[in-house]
Amino acid sequence: MSEWTGDDFLDPIREALRLVIDPELGYNIVDLGLVYEIDVDDGRIAHVTMTTTTRGCPATDYLRSGAHQAAASVTGIASADVTMTYDPPWTPRMMSPQAKEHFGIADD
Amino acid sequence: MQGTTLSRWTLSYFAVAVVFLLAAQALMALGVGYPSAALRAPQTLIVVHCVTVGWLSLLMCGALFQFVPVLLARPIYSNMLPLPALILIVAGLGALIAGFLQLAGALPWMPHCFIAAGILLGSGFAVVLWTLGRTFARAWPPNLPAQFVVVGLCAIAVTVTFGIVFALGYGGYLHSALLAKLRVHALPLHVIAGLGGWLTFTAFGVSHRLLAMFMLSPELDGPTTRWTLYLGTLALAIVVGAGTVAAATAGGLEIALSLAGLAGLACLALYGSDVVQLYRRRVRRVIELNSRMAAVALAHLAAAVLLIIACAALGGIARFSGALVFLVCFGWLTGLGLAKLYKIVAFVTWLECYGPVLGKTPTPRVQDLVVEPRAARWFWLYFAAVDFATLCLFTGTPLMFRAAAAFMTIATLGIAVELVRTRRLVNVKEALRLPSGAHAPRLLLTFVAH
Repeated sequence: MSEWTGDDFLDPIREALRLVIDPELGYNIVDLGLVYEIDVDDGRIAHVTMTTTTRGCPATDYLRSGAHQAAASVTGIASADVTMTYDPPWTPRMMSPQAKEHFGIADD
Repeated sequence: MQGTTLSRWTLSYFAVAVVFLLAAQALMALGVGYPSAALRAPQTLIVVHCVTVGWLSLLMCGALFQFVPVLLARPIYSNMLPLPALILIVAGLGALIAGFLQLAGALPWMPHCFIAAGILLGSGFAVVLWTLGRTFARAWPPNLPAQFVVVGLCAIAVTVTFGIVFALGYGGYLHSALLAKLRVHALPLHVIAGLGGWLTFTAFGVSHRLLAMFMLSPELDGPTTRWTLYLGTLALAIVVGAGTVAAATAGGLEIALSLAGLAGLACLALYGSDVVQLYRRRVRRVIELNSRMAAVALAHLAAAVLLIIACAALGGIARFSGALVFLVCFGWLTGLGLAKLYKIVAFVTWLECYGPVLGKTPTPRVQDLVVEPRAARWFWLYFAAVDFATLCLFTGTPLMFRAAAAFMTIATLGIAVELVRTRRLVNVKEALRLPSGAHAPRLLLTFVAH
């Protein structure tokens, strides 16, 4: 197998995470800006750091589990580890331009 | 651990609550209770307690079991205790209604109905308070919205205590002169602690968080919100403290109620200003039906406050107290309750059904579980019927009031059917309805994975 770096997996993982939607907003967690960081270590373990739109969101466990499922399903990834953080807290400004357009939010 | 944030019995509370609401509205349509009977007539008390205990309190308890963990970001203390609490409260309400039926002469006299009602309702709400109280203890000190709920929970304790005193009085058990005086004079305190403290103040706390969450508005925790809490708590403390002393000494309640009223008005004005901020500063420009209907309910609260001020200024509070309480119960509390119920049922159903398969397969959105334009028609019919019914109470036209109550019943039934359709996933496109691994939700309780 050719040499690989963790960066090779970032786009496929990001794409897989788009399968996970925030149920309330009905939009994928990547474009909502809920995924803060993706990293793949030498053991091919994907480390995803993410948040929810509000602290204590009842969907938190499901979002964490869904992100874990999606990241671990990427070909070549051995397993996934998802960390929830509220630092910094999510704001709608973190959305992608497409998501902002979808929700009618001015792109600043 | 997955699933710990779903409340197992919340849907059961909601289902029983909606049945009581429909029953109360049907009774009003049939001419049972006020305005066909006197305000303190046993028939009126049956309808009133079906609305306040059977509908509003069960709705609030069910909602709190789901949303106190959201407010505190901590799991509920027990997912099982809400069931015995529900059984105790429903049994207690049954005993209370049986007691009132005896007073009305519709049932033979059984002296123990009222004491059974007091014990059962007292125990049921004590279990609710224990479960929520232990949850709060895990996150003490609570954040600002949760502090509203703490005050609301103190108010339900006071409301139930007064209720037990009244039940003992009706059952002929009160031999203490002090309690007997309370029984005669403390009814306004029972009503204000229940509608104002328990239901309205708790709704303030929960709505602050829910409106911000559903409209993507900034969460408010500044001086306006803090003073809303302080002034509302002060108003309730005056009502309970000074009001109880005045009632127990058979003194007039006017001074206590006036002082509490001033603090309460300032609290309401500040809450109104916060709500306007939440709607104005929302990021989500197109808001959902639940937030639109919550705004209509809030407008009814504002209308009720203005009418109370006008009636107080013109000396008509006693004459129009039935109409004012009706507007608060149905325009404000029930309107807000139905609006949030419409959202919460869809949200909980989504979590229960699609949460476990998130990331494995495409899932619908929460919005795909409902058909808002169809439900909107029932909501508008409901509010129009409430407004007309309120007008009938102010103008003293009981027959027209019954017609309005019939329309309220039809509208509520329409909303209830929408809730069942949501629960049954009828509105979801077939291709997405039940992907592999998803649980079909049961109608009356929530599947909680361990």
